[in-house]
Amino acid sequence: MTVAIVLLTLLVGAWLLAVIEAWLTTGRLRPVAPLLAGLSHLGRESILARKPDRLFFETAPVLLLVVAVLGAAVLPLTPDLVIADLATGALFLNAVLAYVLVSLIMAGWGPNGAYAMIGGWRFLGQLIAYSMLIVMPITATAMRAESLLNSVIVESQAGLWNIVYQPLGFVLFFIAAMALAFRSPFDLPTAPGELAGGVDAEYTGVRLTVLRLARLVMLITLSAATTVFFLGGWQGPLLPPWAWSLIKTLAVAVSMLLVGYYLPRIREADLLGWCWKFGIPLALLNILIVGLLILVVP
Amino acid sequence: MEAATRLQRLLAEDAFAASPDDFDSSILQTKTEYVCPMHPEVVEDEPGSCPKCGMDLVAREAGGDADAGEHDHSGHGHGDHDHGDHDHGSSGFMSMVEVTKDLPRSADGLAMDWLEVPFGPCFPGLPGGLRLTLTLDGDGVTEGQATSLVAMGTPSEEVAVETFIERLAAATPLAPVSYRLLACRAIEQAAGLEPDPAVERGRAAALERERIASHLGWLAQLGRQLSFVWLTRRAAALQLETQRADGEQLVVLRPALQALIARLEHTPLLKARLKGIGALPHGSQDLRGPVARASGRTEDARQADAMYCELGFELYIEGAGDAWARFRQRHVEIVTSLDLVEAAGDPELPKLRAIDSPSGTGEATVETPRGRSTLQLTLERGQVVSVELDGACRQHIGLAADLVEGQELGDALVAVGSLDLSPWEVSS
Repeated sequence: MTVAIVLLTLLVGAWLLAVIEAWLTTGRLRPVAPLLAGLSHLGRESILARKPDRLFFETAPVLLLVVAVLGAAVLPLTPDLVIADLATGALFLNAVLAYVLVSLIMAGWGPNGAYAMIGGWRFLGQLIAYSMLIVMPITATAMRAESLLNSVIVESQAGLWNIVYQPLGFVLFFIAAMALAFRSPFDLPTAPGELAGGVDAEYTGVRLTVLRLARLVMLITLSAATTVFFLGGWQGPLLPPWAWSLIKTLAVAVSMLLVGYYLPRIREADLLGWCWKFGIPLALLNILIVGLLILVVP
Repeated sequence: MEAATRLQRLLAEDAFAASPDDFDSSILQTKTEYVCPMHPEVVEDEPGSCPKCGMDLVAREAGGDADAGEHDHSGHGHGDHDHGDHDHGSSGFMSMVEVTKDLPRSADGLAMDWLEVPFGPCFPGLPGGLRLTLTLDGDGVTEGQATSLVAMGTPSEEVAVETFIERLAAATPLAPVSYRLLACRAIEQAAGLEPDPAVERGRAAALERERIASHLGWLAQLGRQLSFVWLTRRAAALQLETQRADGEQLVVLRPALQALIARLEHTPLLKARLKGIGALPHGSQDLRGPVARASGRTEDARQADAMYCELGFELYIEGAGDAWARFRQRHVEIVTSLDLVEAAGDPELPKLRAIDSPSGTGEATVETPRGRSTLQLTLERGQVVSVELDGACRQHIGLAADLVEGQELGDALVAVGSLDLSPWEVSS
């Protein structure tokens, strides 16, 4: 039952985000458009590129979707509504998210096309930029909770949410999550104006539907992770816990879309430079501050 | 004749047939040698480990690699990027050192397969009709070339003056008013008409309105290239409003245009994206329009126009020569054009003044949104019989090759995009 509820939530969330994204892009609010677009893709020819690496080409979209769903599986919507509240949940999320890179490299290599291949390699560079900024802020939240259980991390924020307790960690995680989800301004692997879609470029039909769904689910998973680690998870007044989780997750996802809407794509060299020169020192500083707070504040 | 007879006799006697004695059996003998996958200079006769890194040596046929690295890059025919062409070898290990050891190296020192990749003629980040072919080394550009697939040709038949004006305007969809004005002026000069100040004011207003719309169109294109959706939507909406606006409506639009410019100047990441990209030498020759002025050249046909002097036109020169300078140059020109429209009054679409069936030659120059364009034509009894057009982007399209070389792909595309090339305004 829990699995069904989580999967349904992810599907509804993906639909909602697709509507909002199209609203931002076109200025028109069309609730049925994502469903029609998905159905039309199912009816279209799934073109196979010449001399593809068939295994990589077919597997990549599915792998990305699986990764996004597995990530969501360890994030609690309420104290009881979580597919697997693992003792190493925070660590598991990090491990699962590493496979986003694998999926994108496969999607880049598989179709045997230049745009896609460059997109895949670009994401490899992007991983080097963002990966430490995913791991280190999560580490700081686990330090405060003294646990890797995601539900305990949520409960540790009962008095004060981590967005206030460790705002630096929140900002760094938010930016890194956008880079991980390759949303604008970090859409280097897809880059419509530079690579005509990049890793998406050679996918059509059903495969493209799966790839787009996976990208939306990945955005929800990372927004839910931001909620769990920094926004107090299901905690909040008046409304039931599940409602708070959904509201916060949706708010984070929409804010990610809005940031991308108002910013141009970053240069890859700048992304790498800034993450390593400023991001990682700041993430270490965040860990230091949180450590001191844990020691000093009872 | 005697030699031919002798040759026929030798052939009849089978004199050139191969005999077993002629066969050199040594060529069939192969020798196995053992090499390090990471250090190609380590070659041993016996299996073992590499003295440098300790890896197991892998077997190969002696001399077998002599030709393996001789990839012919002369035609850069690597666009296929076929997986099937990579021979992973019987050992199952593909040494990148071996695969890339004879490949040419780009500026970053890394050797990779070079891919010749087309960008355009229908590419989201570039104007339609422009084909940019880049040779990529990873995501670095080793060389590139831009060509127009919709360049203007020379008319091969005599046409009536009205037809010529319509055809020229239709052939330049990114600046139809400018080329319509160019044709009208050239024909009127050929007909011996003196400029009418009242008509010229309306024409100047129309030209400046088109300049504003064109620069907004370039901003929208930049937004598409950089996935900057807000810029694309806002600039495209203002472009449409500007194209339809009369003098009063342009006054109403001024705050919105200035707000857009002010906001863009302070948009995070945008300056980092453009600053230092696609730099052209200060005062480069053969540049025109905003590209020339952003590189410090005082190049503007409006300076020589008495009408513009009356309207209070002042030339602005940015000077740094990079994509950020071109970006700022166009911003300032939008505001300058708004001032000029306000001073000139309502825009009037250029129309040919009444003429009979004149004969003669005429020449006109117009500062189009992308730079100076010159038209020379000859009329015979009201028919245009010969035309010579120097389009605004004739020189700029050749700049792409220098701007992209050695750049990262994203920077190369920004550099080409910042030139605001119109493939229709290139004379073929």
